[in-house]
Parts: sequence; C-alpha cells; structure tokens
Amino acid sequence: MPVEGLAADTPGLALTTRDAAEIICHRAGGPVSVGRFLAEAAALAAALPADGHALNLCADRYAALLGFAAALLRGHPTLLGARSGGGFLAMAAARYPGAYLLADEPGAAAPLPVFRVDAPRALRPAAAPPPIPAERVVAIGFTSGSTGTPTAHAKPWGALVAAAAAAAARFGLRPGDGPPTSIVATVPPQHMYGFETTMMLPLRAAVAIHAGASFYPSEVQEALAAVPPRRLLITTPLHLRVLLADGRRPPALSAVISATAPLAPEMAMAVERDWAAPMLEIYGATEAGSVASRRTAREEGWLPYAGTTVRDGVAEVPGLGAVPLADAVEPLADGRFRLLGRLADVVKLGGKRASLAELNRVLAGVPGVEDGVFLAPGDMENNPAARLSALVVAPGRTAAQIMDGLRGLIDPAFLPRRLAMVAALPRDSVGKLPRQALAGLLPGAEEA
Amino acid sequence: MSTGSFTAPAGTIGPVVHPDTGLEQDLARLIVASLSLETTAEEIVPEAPLFGEGLGLDSIDALELSLAIAKAYGVQLRSDDERNHRIFASLRSLAGHIAQHRAR
Repeated sequence: MPVEGLAADTPGLALTTRDAAEIICHRAGGPVSVGRFLAEAAALAAALPADGHALNLCADRYAALLGFAAALLRGHPTLLGARSGGGFLAMAAARYPGAYLLADEPGAAAPLPVFRVDAPRALRPAAAPPPIPAERVVAIGFTSGSTGTPTAHAKPWGALVAAAAAAAARFGLRPGDGPPTSIVATVPPQHMYGFETTMMLPLRAAVAIHAGASFYPSEVQEALAAVPPRRLLITTPLHLRVLLADGRRPPALSAVISATAPLAPEMAMAVERDWAAPMLEIYGATEAGSVASRRTAREEGWLPYAGTTVRDGVAEVPGLGAVPLADAVEPLADGRFRLLGRLADVVKLGGKRASLAELNRVLAGVPGVEDGVFLAPGDMENNPAARLSALVVAPGRTAAQIMDGLRGLIDPAFLPRRLAMVAALPRDSVGKLPRQALAGLLPGAEEA
Repeated sequence: MSTGSFTAPAGTIGPVVHPDTGLEQDLARLIVASLSLETTAEEIVPEAPLFGEGLGLDSIDALELSLAIAKAYGVQLRSDDERNHRIFASLRSLAGHIAQHRAR
C-alpha cells in the first residue's frame, strides 16, 4: 500500500545518507564514525532473531541508536516507550509477536528475550545496507489514550525520513549548512521527540549525538563542554527551569530546542539573554511527530515544517497523511498558525466557550500557585448544571485565597465549583498529566 | 534519563559507620519542602527507599531534588551515582553521600 503523501513508486530510502568518515556519535572513548557504526549495526542485526519487534531499553544514546538501526536492518519495528515501565513490557509481550528487549546494562529478570547491544561482536567490512522501503513501519509510538490502554501509532520509514529532512532544513543541520552539529539531549531516545532528534537526525543530517549521561545539570554542562561546536541542546521546559535555576552558563550554544509542553515566554527570554542562544520551540505530538517550530521570545506564530500543513484539528504530514491534532489552531496571514489550546480542553458553560489550557494559564498566574489544573466533569456536554473543578498546588495558601485570586481574572461561569489543594499533581516523566491519575485525586470529576 | 560511560564514574561510596542524624533530618526537611510532599520530614524512614516503593519519587523529583541539594550543600548529583542505586537508595545513603562531598 502506498504511503499517503509520498509517490507510490518512491524507491527505498537509505538508512543513512552520510559519508563513512563523518562522525555520528561522541562517546567517552572518542568519536565514532558512520562507517564504524554501520559495521556494528550489521553485526548486531545478524545476532537478532529472524522476526520480531524490538523494545529498546538502552540508556546510552549510542547503544540506543545501534539497537534501532540493527532492528531496522533486520526488518523489525521498534516499539517506542520501552523505558516507561513494566506495564509497557507486558503490553508489548501480549500484543506484538516475537517481542524482544535490546539492553545495554544488566536488568532485572524480564518477561522477554534480552539481547545485549554492547556485547563484543566480530566486525566485518559491511556492504552498504539495502534501501528501506518508504512504506515499511520501522517504529511504533504509543499514546496513553482516554481508556488507559495504549494506542499504537505506526511510523513508516518514509515519514520519519521526510520529518528528519524538514527538521534538518529548519534548524540548519544539512551538510551544506555549516560545520556538523553536536546534539546534547535531556530527553530519552524512546520518547517520540527524543527519537526524532537523537535517533533520526544522526542518521539523516549532519549531526553527531552525545552518548553519555545528560540528565542532571552538572551532566548537561559537562556533556556540552565535551562536544565540539556547533552545540545544540534538545530539552524540555522542565529541564530548562532547573538549568536556569542552577545558574551556570553553558558553553556556547548554536541553539536550544524545547518541546513536550508549552514554554513560558519569560523562560524563552531568559535563555536568549543568559545563554546568548536562539531559544526554539517545536510543536508536535506522538501521532504526527514534529510539525512546526517557532522562536518563542520573538514569535507567537508557529511555522509548519516544509511539506506539512496545519489546519484546525488536523496536520497533513508527508508520509502519514491527515493526522488529528489535539489543539485548536488559528491560521495566520504569513503561513504560520497560532495555538488556541487543546481541542478536548475547550469547554462550554452557559453559552460561553473557554479553553481549559487558557484557564490553567490564568490559574498558574495566581500568587502562590506553583501548579494547578482545571477539570471538567465527564457529563459536561449534556449536564447544564455541570461546573468545573480545580486541583491546585500552592503551599501555605488556602482554597479561599486561590478563589479570591481567580475572581475577576476569569468569567464567573468558569470559576471552579470545587477547588482542592493538593501537594503535587501526578505529572509523568515529560510533565504531562495522565487523566486517570487526575480523576483519582478528585472523585466524581474527570478531565474533559 | 540518560546514563552512560561518557563521564567518569563517581567514587565508590564507603560504608557510613555513624549516620549523621542531624544531617538526615535537615535533608528530610529539604526533600519535603522542595518536592512539596504531603508527608512530614519526621515520617521519612531513614532506611526506606526514596524512589519506587517507599516515598515513591520519580525522575522529575530527582531533577528537582538535585537542584535543592546543589543549592543547600554544594553537592552535584549524577546519573552514575543513581545508576549504582547507592545514593538514592534511602535518606541515609543520600545523607551519607552529601556528608562525603559537601562543600558547605
């Protein structure tokens, strides 16, 4: 079946378009060339079973990339999300035939066969790997979904290659754009954003990834110092907040990119000022991948990636076709678009319309509020008496004080009928709020 | 989170013969305050796990805690440490690590 958005007769696309001598990764022992990487990937591929699905647990980014490439060469899709816990492994074992684990360190007893990516293997001069059909599904992303059962999103090779090309063009990472770029990332390669930036870009752009630990502030500083310029930091608002609070100025950066959650303009301005680097933000989702970017301190409008169009509720993505988005968008005259908040978050009360995302922003601005979220009851659509609730983290403040802070800032219709003070919101590893966890905090209410 | 061999592994943590209960109490208060936990500092069992079961902290808490510990004690946490599961194993082991490396 042809992939939408790509010509039906699109020839296969190479695993990598890079020269064998180029550097693909900076490891503790020194830089690794593309040629060396391909030889190691071929050797690992030969050790894998004939059929299966790969769950890549590798923490080291070089091991993760090797594992992905070897599975790809063997014809196996990689299931993204393997590091999210035992429940994911059990789901994969039940749903995907021949599922196996790729690991780079000893782990607890697993319900699946384990292949060590870092085991020593004899390397033979590898022939150039055959082109990979554009329509072949090489990765599968997962979203938690409203029911709690993960929903699978297939990623054909052609779509991932097109997205990598668009990102390379947007961020100046093509071979002719200047010196190669060193990427240091604080996001795991098993998350869609980390997968696109630390797995696909090194294969298809003039990029070398830093392989080692880059989670804690000291590690990020040392990782950046250990790689040659141009340096690109791939991160999230959560990490940026800690890195800015840490106070140390990192080595010269060509740019910083954030995704997974909205970046506050003040934080974007702080990065531009204190680190003297462009602070870029990517808009994307597991379903569609990265689809647009902006320079947050200077622009409100998001510029779609080349070949991608974004309209209300839908992104037209090369290789994927029409993919539903979770956000309402407003087209702008210059081809950009503005985000109006999550579609599912739009609530109507007494004939008035509001975005829960916007209400959450107002709540976050109330003095003393560290975190907070509005919740809409499940019967919002057909119960005229339905009202919103809110969960608020504001140490030392009372619910009455928070209500006082909200009055006058939002339409009274949207003032929370129930406002519960909590110690923390159950944000997941990328800062999002799983619906089920929220529902548990406030019995009788659930996020719309 | 990413761990790997790029950075030199941290020094081995020696056995803590005499727990510094004063430091442990200070650290427990820091954990409760910086992570806005519902539990009180006194309720944290020095030998109980901080992550997973026990206090139930996660990687976002670890990042937040690393900032608070760096500011309070001048000690930088590392993935290598965490990978060894020694330092974050309990309040006592974390206090022991800080006692060994603190700058102030």
